[in-house]
Amino acid sequence: MATVIQIIFGLIAALIVGAAVMVVTVRNVIHAALWLIACFFGVGALYLLLEAEFLAVVQVLVYVGAISILILFAIMLTRQVTGEGVRQLVGGWRLWLTAAISALLFAVAIVPTVISHSWNVPAPPAPPGTPEPLAGVAELGRAFVYEFLLQFQVAGVLLTVALIGAIVIAFEERARRRRVLTLAEEHELRKRLAHPPPVEAPAGEPAPAPRATPISEGEVQQ
Amino acid sequence: MYDIVNGLINTTFGWNWPGWVIALISHLLVTTLLFAIAPFQMLFLTYYERRAIARMQDRIGPNRVGPAGLLQPIADGVKMFTKEDIVPAAADRWVHFLAPCVVVAPTMLMFAVLPWGPGMVPVDLNVGLLFFFAISSISAVGLLMAGLASSNKFALLGAMRAVAQMVSYEIPAVLSLLAVVMLTGTLSIVQLIEAQAGLFISSADVPGVPDLGLGWFIFTPVGLLAFIVFFIAALAEGERTPFDIPEADSEIVAGYMTEYSGMKFGLFYLAQYVLNFLLCAIAAVIFFGGWQGPGVGWLYDRAISPANPDGNWVFNLLAGFLGVFYLLAKTYAFFFVMVWLRGAFPRLRVDQLMDFGWKFLIPLTLVNIVSAAIWVALLRWGPEQGITFTQNWTPILRWGVAFAVTLAVNIVAYIALARIFAASQAEQGRIDLDEYRDTLTATLR
Repeated sequence: MATVIQIIFGLIAALIVGAAVMVVTVRNVIHAALWLIACFFGVGALYLLLEAEFLAVVQVLVYVGAISILILFAIMLTRQVTGEGVRQLVGGWRLWLTAAISALLFAVAIVPTVISHSWNVPAPPAPPGTPEPLAGVAELGRAFVYEFLLQFQVAGVLLTVALIGAIVIAFEERARRRRVLTLAEEHELRKRLAHPPPVEAPAGEPAPAPRATPISEGEVQQ
Repeated sequence: MYDIVNGLINTTFGWNWPGWVIALISHLLVTTLLFAIAPFQMLFLTYYERRAIARMQDRIGPNRVGPAGLLQPIADGVKMFTKEDIVPAAADRWVHFLAPCVVVAPTMLMFAVLPWGPGMVPVDLNVGLLFFFAISSISAVGLLMAGLASSNKFALLGAMRAVAQMVSYEIPAVLSLLAVVMLTGTLSIVQLIEAQAGLFISSADVPGVPDLGLGWFIFTPVGLLAFIVFFIAALAEGERTPFDIPEADSEIVAGYMTEYSGMKFGLFYLAQYVLNFLLCAIAAVIFFGGWQGPGVGWLYDRAISPANPDGNWVFNLLAGFLGVFYLLAKTYAFFFVMVWLRGAFPRLRVDQLMDFGWKFLIPLTLVNIVSAAIWVALLRWGPEQGITFTQNWTPILRWGVAFAVTLAVNIVAYIALARIFAASQAEQGRIDLDEYRDTLTATLR
């Protein structure tokens, strides 16, 4: 059974590495994004091999189902900016600087883990009384609301801030743009401009008065 | 299936094959069965829909091929296979080719966790419900691939619409399921069905209720609201009228399928109907008890199962047949509702679709989660969780109080949100005359 697992691990690892290499080497940006999706999928399969079912499913739900869609949308909206067939956006010494910074950041994340991890495979049997590893939904949920509450809350606030920022940007965009009228609305508007209704709402009218002049959806349908 | 194959090979024939061979054989058998069932469901559903919609429109529908037109879908399939496969010259060939596969594969994978009857589930994952929806979200990638690779305006527009719609309506669908998950405390679809035994009151909530297999979640206020939201979201995910915006044939030809012909188009068509079948089935499973129904529990108690190894196999067969019958009856009833809606409603506009999803359904599901929490607190929690005032109540009193409170919360929330939504829509539809006067008077002259 162990050899079967190792063969499957080798296949999945080859898929992940191959897809990751393709992401950074293909010329077409959309193809790169699609290879990235394959890479995400491989990572999900790897989680499944580690018997972390919940993490695997969430990996597929979040990365394959949502983040990759976001990436594809972003590519579609910025196609004119990036340009097709350009291998790198920066060249010369800037390219090397970018590569060095990325490698440094990755090293900051991975080196302490590699050094501090005890690589005894398979894991020695834990003494009785040690808690179960964080794999199931219930354990993860409990860890989020008891042990890692601060991190959980900070992440939540961060996401909310991002959401509010997006809404603010969208509102500014909308203020500069006029809403496109439907044909029925435009027709109604022209009719009203040609024959202005006798009750023009002055400034100091009581509350229900503004409803008399503007067109609500119900009126348009009539 | 593993038990049956194991019994047949190792006990009856006495060959003593190792466990992994038997597991492989049984899984292959189940997979083959499911891969055969899925296209037949699609064939039947297309016939069903065409006949039903024809009756609603005062027509007859397909009635020439075979008895009452039953073989019409097979004739259509032959037509699909023999059509020429056309790839546009400007298309991205590989992505164009892969897109239908990426759309179809997830729908087939979703069958893996769907229970058909008592003890009849291909894989009982402990995160089955989440798996179902995670896998269904992959097909959005396939739709986007189809739109991008076709290098066609209509295909790209259709794909953008489809993906925007699927991503937005996934949120209310999953949040409405969260309420049900809170009621049962599990993500396993099998345990979800087992929690729905009883008679209008789930026997998991009140012990001692007679088990007629009718303790469905639809009979609780939380489940009812969750079902309404879920079914609307399922209509949007399955791209059914009134949410068939992605392939609105009067606006954008056929959406992301515009540049596909022959069997590739057939695969998109297959994926769509299989997805509709699965969404109806999962709605039946989560809110209407799946295979639960009068008699199934009684029969399964007498059958061979892990809990009762010396039962009679006849009861296995009977319970299986009855369970599958109940599940399919509920599924087809939901599909009929989908057809009925198609016959009754016009298509929504894109902005109406987005407003309805984000401003009405999502707040409604959030309120529903709160009332699910109230339900759990009143029914399950005791002094150790800090709820002391319910400990002397009888289970039926607890159930009654929980029912009344959650019903009140949900009704008040629904009315309030509906009013706010209607007011905001009216506000949006209103035109500020001053803003438009200048441009329009300019164009009129």
